[in-house]
Amino acid sequence: MTVTAQRVHGPEEYLATAQEKFLQRAYLLPGLFSDPEIFRLEKERIFARAWHFVAHESEIPRPGDYVVRYVADDPLIIVRTESGEIRALYNMCRHRGMQVCRAEAGNAAFFRCPYHGWTYKNTGELIGVPFHREVYGAEGLQRGEWPLISVRLESYEGLLFANLDPEAIPLREYLGEATFYLDFYLKKSTAGLEVRGAPDRWIFPANWKLGADNFIGDAYHTAFTHRSTVEVGILPVPDANFHKDGPQAIVGPWAGGYVPNLPYAALYPHLVGTMRANLTPAHHAIMDHDLWQSHSTLFPNVSFLNAPGIMPGTAPVAYFTLRVWRPLGPDRMEIWSWYLVERDAPEEWKEASYRAYVLQFGTSGTLEQDDTENWSSITKVAKGQLARTIPLNYRMGLDHLQPLTDWPGPGQAYPVDYTEYAQRHFWTTYFEWMCSNSR
Amino acid sequence: MSAVSETILREIEAFLYREAELLDERQYNEWLALLSEDVQYELPQRVTRERSQGEGILDGTGHFLENQWTLRKRIERLATEYAWAEDPPSRTRHFVTNIRVAPGEQQDEYLVRSNVLVYRTRGDDPTYDVLSAERSDVLRRVDGSLRLARRRVLLDHSIVLTRNLAIFL
Repeated sequence: MTVTAQRVHGPEEYLATAQEKFLQRAYLLPGLFSDPEIFRLEKERIFARAWHFVAHESEIPRPGDYVVRYVADDPLIIVRTESGEIRALYNMCRHRGMQVCRAEAGNAAFFRCPYHGWTYKNTGELIGVPFHREVYGAEGLQRGEWPLISVRLESYEGLLFANLDPEAIPLREYLGEATFYLDFYLKKSTAGLEVRGAPDRWIFPANWKLGADNFIGDAYHTAFTHRSTVEVGILPVPDANFHKDGPQAIVGPWAGGYVPNLPYAALYPHLVGTMRANLTPAHHAIMDHDLWQSHSTLFPNVSFLNAPGIMPGTAPVAYFTLRVWRPLGPDRMEIWSWYLVERDAPEEWKEASYRAYVLQFGTSGTLEQDDTENWSSITKVAKGQLARTIPLNYRMGLDHLQPLTDWPGPGQAYPVDYTEYAQRHFWTTYFEWMCSNSR
Repeated sequence: MSAVSETILREIEAFLYREAELLDERQYNEWLALLSEDVQYELPQRVTRERSQGEGILDGTGHFLENQWTLRKRIERLATEYAWAEDPPSRTRHFVTNIRVAPGEQQDEYLVRSNVLVYRTRGDDPTYDVLSAERSDVLRRVDGSLRLARRRVLLDHSIVLTRNLAIFL
């Protein structure tokens, strides 16, 4: 097949062409992984409007605890106030725009801007302005009009999401029936989850969507990309194709896949009971098929993974990681990778589970090492003028798979995880956000 | 002046240089042989905090939290035909400087601190990654030769500025 470099002018036209090719034939244009103009539009049309995971409540347990997080380039202080309420404050002094908080985490009742000393309570209220009456006249500055800007923050089961758009629909409405699937990760224990340490952060040259695309539905790559990790026995599964026969499900802004016959063996025993107690009969029906919910992505860029690990002298141990693919440019992302564990798990089990995570995911993880290598390489090629027009194949399962008719969960499910329904769901959603100014 | 003899200082220096050579040449099995059976190899997480709230080096979590088994597994993986992160391999250079030696808690153990600058390039990318760190090691004499028993790598970054830690520091 010979492909000629088609001339496609401007990001809007490129997007329209890309959407058409995708919806008609499930062909994806690689310029979406590299174009600076497309990236600029993503910041406006997706990141300035979507609900964005920023922190877990357990990271800021006490009054005054804060962490600094980002929605693309926008910095937010996520802080628990004295009353216990959690707020997201835009980390920019209202005077000259300095960061009022330059640490990544800590505990503070006040944020004092280093530049001119404007001081804000951790609620955002401006309470101190040096030489207030002298420099702003007898009436003084109307301090009440100049607080740190509060950004919308809503939570689901301990997960804190921020949204820069005052008009956005509420988080629960956005999640819709996706909560059914999130509950598999979040409600295993009645005691809830806790974050261990801090999220691992690293920056490398790849487009953010490659992480989202991988986690949402790419069980297929495990067999080849991750073959080495399976072969040496770090991933305790029968073979590198272990993902092939689980179903894949899509609903609302979420999609993900299941692993069959890796039942709750990797969870510590009493969780199976509390999971059943916390979840619904529809969840039980899925659990009773020995299905284990594994990888998924919530649009746009937060991904989840339940995986089995192993440490010498232990039975297989499960771990749960949640990650944000933070966009830094068309060809650069920062991964934020959190490890979470049920609060009431035995200490010894938590330790083994955490170590299993370190061995497989995060900066040094034997699985994730190979993923980041792949995504960097794809991003590099996607910059080519010819690459922009050569379609990528997103057709797996399209012509021969039918949705399951007896799937107990909401949305649609397909019989195998070696398919690309979930990726097509991601990209269809992506084009809906990108090609419509009104959404 | 270190409180150990000049001879031992030279021996420890030679050990660290040899170790760096093995890492840069990717002779990982030979590198493993330099480690004690109970080796602990850690690279803690680090976050930016205000000075009053400590160094921001976290306990109990890390980018590496390894023992001999996990290090061996990592190295076995790198030796397979499917270790894409390092095949083709990175070019690395471990610059080991500022070696400081003190007697250890046990007879035959030494506390060794060194600064390390690791330079890494991949493929035909015209860019490079640099990782800067201080390493706090415990070296132990086993059957006459030195072994690395413990290493704690304190990275001078809160964000890791390379695509992965498929290499060792």
